[in-house]
Amino acid sequence: MNELIRYARQHVDEAEMYWRRAHETTVLYQNRCLQQINLNRLSSVAVRVIDGGRFGQSFGETPERTAIVDEAKTVSMFGDPARHAFSHAHAYNDLPDADRAVSAMTGADLVALCEDTKRAILSHRPDLTLLIRAGTSSERLVIETTDGVHAESETAGLHLAFGAPLQGAGTFIHKSHASSSPFEAPTDLIEEFLTWYGWTEQASTPDTGRLPVIFAPEAAFLYIIPLCFGINGNAVAKETSPIFNRIDESILSEKLTIFDAPDLPASPFSRAFDDEGTACRRRPLVENGILRDFLLDLQSASMLRRRSTGNGFKRQLFGSGTEVAPEPWPCHVQIQPGTEPIDKMITDLDEALLVTGGLGFHSGNYSQGQFAVQAIGFHIRNGRVSGRLESTMISGNIYADLLDIEALSRETRDIPTGMGPAIEAPYVLVESLAVAGR
Amino acid sequence: MKELLARLLSESPHEYADIRFERNCKTRIRFEGPHLRGIADYETSGGHVRAYEAGGKSIASFTDPKDAAPLLASCKESARLAARHRNDRLRLAPAPRLEGSFVASPTADPRRISLEEKQALLRHYNSLILAEPHVVTTVSEYEEFYSHRTFVNSEGSSVDYDLLIVNIAGFIVTQRNGVAQRVRFAFGGSDSFSGLIGREDELQERVVSAVALLDAESAEAGVFPVVLDPSEAGVFIHEAFGHLSEADGIQNNPSFRERLTLGTRLGAPILNVTDDPGLLDRPGSYIVDDEGVLGQRTELIREGTLSGRLHSRETAAAFDEPLSGNMRAVDAHYTPIVRMSNIFIEPGTSSFDDMVASIENGYYLVGAKGGQTTGDQFTFGAQWGFRIRNGRLAERVRDINMSGELFGTLGAISMIGDDVSFAERGGCGKGMPQQLNSKSGKGAPHIKIDTVTIGGIR
Repeated sequence: MNELIRYARQHVDEAEMYWRRAHETTVLYQNRCLQQINLNRLSSVAVRVIDGGRFGQSFGETPERTAIVDEAKTVSMFGDPARHAFSHAHAYNDLPDADRAVSAMTGADLVALCEDTKRAILSHRPDLTLLIRAGTSSERLVIETTDGVHAESETAGLHLAFGAPLQGAGTFIHKSHASSSPFEAPTDLIEEFLTWYGWTEQASTPDTGRLPVIFAPEAAFLYIIPLCFGINGNAVAKETSPIFNRIDESILSEKLTIFDAPDLPASPFSRAFDDEGTACRRRPLVENGILRDFLLDLQSASMLRRRSTGNGFKRQLFGSGTEVAPEPWPCHVQIQPGTEPIDKMITDLDEALLVTGGLGFHSGNYSQGQFAVQAIGFHIRNGRVSGRLESTMISGNIYADLLDIEALSRETRDIPTGMGPAIEAPYVLVESLAVAGR
Repeated sequence: MKELLARLLSESPHEYADIRFERNCKTRIRFEGPHLRGIADYETSGGHVRAYEAGGKSIASFTDPKDAAPLLASCKESARLAARHRNDRLRLAPAPRLEGSFVASPTADPRRISLEEKQALLRHYNSLILAEPHVVTTVSEYEEFYSHRTFVNSEGSSVDYDLLIVNIAGFIVTQRNGVAQRVRFAFGGSDSFSGLIGREDELQERVVSAVALLDAESAEAGVFPVVLDPSEAGVFIHEAFGHLSEADGIQNNPSFRERLTLGTRLGAPILNVTDDPGLLDRPGSYIVDDEGVLGQRTELIREGTLSGRLHSRETAAAFDEPLSGNMRAVDAHYTPIVRMSNIFIEPGTSSFDDMVASIENGYYLVGAKGGQTTGDQFTFGAQWGFRIRNGRLAERVRDINMSGELFGTLGAISMIGDDVSFAERGGCGKGMPQQLNSKSGKGAPHIKIDTVTIGGIR
């Protein structure tokens, strides 16, 4: 037991400690040159206490400073009555140990990976203003409570992202990959990047109206984040979610089955426990379009008189961190693929959009299932990509527009999004969406 | 602290190195609906080092001060490695050696107000909102951030300085017949507690708007002329143009950089845009940046022509342009990057009524709701809007986002109002990993843009 929890047992009624230590090395190339190497050594602690029936919290750098407990106790005097206890002892799934080969990677190893990636791309497109970022993160997370939880994990991840701006513009075409094991320059991803970049030479703006839309895995966040807010236990408990009373009802196309998958092998995002020390389990959220379950952390579980589903993560729409309060989020979204090859999905369409990203998502009313974004991607005409989208917005509501899904690709990609959780998704063809263009 | 940091630098000589150490005090109180979801009043600390060696660069963040010396040594080695993979040497523009202390001294110091009083004020505002019919929930947050920073570099600069900002912000959720709407509110956004007092009337107006949106129609998708209120126009200039004036965003994008050569015409002669960290009581105000350079007023657009840019020492050298003192980090976990301070469109001569009267079929967009840019493309939302028909404001609309391309849209600004006002709450995300900067100000008068793409839900 950590000294901080031992101290807490003597001074407060209940306590929870979250302690994260991370060693990160990141190499950044801009315009083909190595711009900087970043080495971080970070430690942070969050302590939550319940004392006299009231809730308090504080933060610091290491659990050696037990005064954090006293600070949390002090603010608990101003707090509201605690509505839930902290986690109690759980049995956790075994996840593979952190790959020491990733933890051992040096800045020079990352430079070598970037140089290989650079060579592979520039051999085909020597004109590109290439940006590459490669990094490793080795993380030790410890969660303990005064009720006997001792959850500890060591994880390591290697991530690579590369892209290039359109000629004379700031908009990027980019790709990314992450794994819990070392990997070499990913040739299939590089090939796809080169194909996409090749499609950008002509600009194209569709007419305003309704068109079929293929969401690439990179754009899956446009419909998954609204769903995450819809099945967020807090929104369900407050009945502000548009689907708070729709369990076991059809909310999306029957072609869609969506899992929370905290146990994916080789994923650096896999977790045995959430940020409150509750066990994470693989489970369907939406099965053949039918809503199966909500995401619950300790707080929302108490409001709904249920148990936490192990979905309390210190995460926000943008970013995560020790000082962020746990909120219900999926650990790792996995959308079951279909059977169509993406190439055939494109050739079967007269006119459509292939959307690979969206700008301005967070400005929309996403908690109600809506999205209205500037579409980044490509215009499909006569079964071929005719150019990159320009001055085009798409909008809709997932609970209306994602009822009609025509096809899912057999290909999937696991995207470590900067917004919300990582998402493994196929290409998803929606029958039609509102498009504002010419 | 200055002596300690200076000693660390002298023990590990570099061509150039700097260390920033911070003590950050935060007070955060959050209500969700009637419940106090969180209350915290705490202090953290940490540091950041940067080293330039042989034309390469390496940086590191740490929380344990004992890591500073070994990380400085590692950065030296990594910077040399980085240099071997560059065609040219990174350089720093010369900067005056800076010494001294720049301490926050607000008129009504929030650090002297008790936690109990802060919580009571927030509870009061939150209760006011919840008392209204059709309000189903709220998020109301009090945020106070005080950062005491010490910066020392190998050129002899040695300063300590304070950042202090306090605000109350959140959103109101209304719901009726299965329709839910969310409207934001924010006030404060300076170093003084006084801006948080007596804001009941404005809060009530927000609640009225949030309720009215339940009956509003969604905006119609298409291309329209628009009038932006000062809040929207401030976000527009921040998102659509401001990020492109941050030199690190275009430093390594040669073809884009060429399009943004100083002297390029970007808009009509009525358009003037400035960035100024020296404005009083604005979210983005500061004295010295996180590279030991004094913040300066920079004219970015003069009479429609690109006239200035925001710089770090590195980008100022790369562009051979003057220093501006815009290198900033949100905290010790991050390296400084080039950020706007308080960016604003300077006042013009048009009236709001004249702008509306000039539009036959368009929209009036009200209240910023966040935005995003890739450089030349931008999108941002409005809290609500009004249809403009035949030169008059008509029905209220909701679910309204606008997007466009920078160069075309700046050129389409045809009228600028005489009524500049500044947003009270800052906020801007930039960088990888993303740094969410609350010390970022924006202001503008009403403006008219002749054509933008509106992405409505209808």
